[in-house]
Amino acid sequence: MPDALPVPASVIEDLRRARRKQRVAEIHWIDALYQVYLVGIVVVVVLAVISGAIGDGKLDHAGIERVRLDGPAWIGMAAALALFIGLRSGSRGGPLAVEAADVRHVLMAPVDRAAALRGPALRQLRFAAFASGCTGAAAGLFASKRFAENGLAWVACCALCAMTIAAIGYGAALFASSRRLPRWLATLVGGVLVIWAVADLAATSAPMAPSSTVGMIAVWPLDFRPLGIAPVVLAIVLIVTGLFGIAGLSLEAAERRTALVGQLRFAVTLQDLRTVLVLRRQLAADLPRNRPWIPALRKPGRARMPSWQRGWRGVLRWPVPRLVRLVALAVIAGFSLRAVWGGTTPMLVAAGLALWVAALDAIEPLAQETDHPGRRDSYPVVEGDLMVRHLGVPVVVMLVVTAGAAAVAVSGGHNSVDPQVMGIAFVPLAVAAVLGAATSVLMGAPKAVDELLIASPEIAGTRTVLRTVFPPLVACLATLPVLMARNPPKGSTASQAASTGVIVVTVVLVLCAGWIRFAADIRTWWDEAQQAAGMQSSRRPTAEEDDE
Amino acid sequence: MSDEDIPALEVSDLTKDYGDLIALHPLDLTIDAGSSVALIGHNGSGKSTLLRIVAGLLEPSDGEIEIAGWPIGSLEARATTSFLPDDPVLYDDLSVREHVEYVSRLHGGSGWDDYAESVVTKLGLIDRVDDLPSRFSRGLRQKTSIVLGLVRPFSLLLVDEPFVGLDASGRTAMMELLDEVHSDGASIVVATHEPSFVERVERSIALRDGEVIFDGRASAADVLSLVGA
Repeated sequence: MPDALPVPASVIEDLRRARRKQRVAEIHWIDALYQVYLVGIVVVVVLAVISGAIGDGKLDHAGIERVRLDGPAWIGMAAALALFIGLRSGSRGGPLAVEAADVRHVLMAPVDRAAALRGPALRQLRFAAFASGCTGAAAGLFASKRFAENGLAWVACCALCAMTIAAIGYGAALFASSRRLPRWLATLVGGVLVIWAVADLAATSAPMAPSSTVGMIAVWPLDFRPLGIAPVVLAIVLIVTGLFGIAGLSLEAAERRTALVGQLRFAVTLQDLRTVLVLRRQLAADLPRNRPWIPALRKPGRARMPSWQRGWRGVLRWPVPRLVRLVALAVIAGFSLRAVWGGTTPMLVAAGLALWVAALDAIEPLAQETDHPGRRDSYPVVEGDLMVRHLGVPVVVMLVVTAGAAAVAVSGGHNSVDPQVMGIAFVPLAVAAVLGAATSVLMGAPKAVDELLIASPEIAGTRTVLRTVFPPLVACLATLPVLMARNPPKGSTASQAASTGVIVVTVVLVLCAGWIRFAADIRTWWDEAQQAAGMQSSRRPTAEEDDE
Repeated sequence: MSDEDIPALEVSDLTKDYGDLIALHPLDLTIDAGSSVALIGHNGSGKSTLLRIVAGLLEPSDGEIEIAGWPIGSLEARATTSFLPDDPVLYDDLSVREHVEYVSRLHGGSGWDDYAESVVTKLGLIDRVDDLPSRFSRGLRQKTSIVLGLVRPFSLLLVDEPFVGLDASGRTAMMELLDEVHSDGASIVVATHEPSFVERVERSIALRDGEVIFDGRASAADVLSLVGA
């Protein structure tokens, strides 16, 4: 054992610096310049789009009052979400994703772990502060166009507000990680704050949510309330406490996280939704139960409907977090439908997305068949037929989830949806979510080498957008009956309008189901046709053809 | 109590569960300083879990562990324990020699020295010391990992499945290195399916479903009857 423990932090810093230098030396300046160029283009396009959408007309008195009164609650919602995400991430070993080899060789060595981890944490924090500060300043610049007050004040306050939100999220993650906050406690605390923020936003009678104090910073140019200083202090306290206790990081969580985060980033780059979903579950330790909720189902069953039985066996092993997530998504979908009914049409996207995300969990048996094509192809069953058989259980599951959403949507109070309309829209909503999710999984990740990309980047780009947007769009489309019933045409009732919407949705769903059944056949036919065309073009002409 | 009387490893009431799956039942274990122990058992019996908890990579659900009198995870325990995992985890951008220098210095060592050179030579890696292990085969990566576990000071060596992925010469070198380390006074705990290794150690502990089912000196035949290897 070395006499002096711990080994000085300067040793780690020296070694890390040498590695960093080596890595930087390997980056070609052209590559670095290209990265800057890409980021620049994205920033300019985003700013142009936002600028166009916001406009620069001055707000009237009523508008200014609305911003002053409601603005803090809306921005507070973002702060509450940042805190929730931060706490959850920290309870799972975040926010740092330490290199796997560093976990094994540095953190297991007799070095001061706090010294070893503080550097990477500060670098992450620096980037988060810079990115959020820039975003906030840009938002402030847009805001200043619409208010009479000093533009610089808007830029400064919005930048500070955004940095506070980022710091609260990051600090919460550091704090939860260093104190090894149990996952249930992190979810509970974060969840309560988010619910409080939602209540503050939705009802004027609700007490002000703590997160709304963050929003006060952004509207300081209109109304300076000193309470806004509190979240800034809280953010600093969280970060300092987290940095001091950073050595408390769990190696088990760090090692699991480090192995998955790299893969997760790669899967996101490849737009491989299924892989992202599977890795996220592993990261959250959202794994199936060892024993099903109903033990009787462990007995061997009859082989008459194996896909149906397999589906239920999977569902009955769902862990508690997944069940809670489905309930939460049902509630979100229900409230979103109420908002659509109340006149906020864009909320149909939230309703459709919530059900689609829930369905991504429900179609797990089908997704697992696509994860292992070799195993799937070994079954003496036509691929499309097998996929259709796997849709039964998810549809039943989603009928239950949608029933929950419908219950929230029709329960009394402001913007309550007409129960008759909800009854008509209920089944299409559930089926559309399942078919949308199944389409998304069956489409898979885009090919690394795409023939269309080579032929025409414009076509390939459009196809990529369609691939990404189409599956959730199917789920969103299913809200059409509710939307149509909201303002029925003259001479027809809300139920009649909803029924008309159902007919339109049913046509889309039939086409979708058909695609799921025949997608494999179509793909095979297309590949064969391409192969034949390729062979024809690459075939050398015969002597007779040459003569001709 | 003199230093020699302090056990190399003391485990009390150790349990590990993953939700409703119990990996280790309450386990009590004492390993004397300077002893050599083989951990045997079926796949999933809890050998790797036990070693990873002792190494500090997994957290126990309950119970206490002390390494040479120090709680796991403490600086002293980390300085005392070397863990050779069955899954080599290495840096992508460092050569074997750079790995050795890095790890050795993190443990207060001087970097590449005669001992490192002799270990690398024994494992047949001497011609590859300036190559990146990220381009190595599984076996060569395993050998690199072994080197890293040995080139630093320790008094307790935990080894998980050391012979997996090694060729015949690698296995022989590994056996010799373990003997050498033990004769130098370190305690070694090796999880293995290798019956021949069991005959070289003073004590064998057999695990089944996270419980100790045998603790004593065992022969290769005993191993077969205990774990059906």
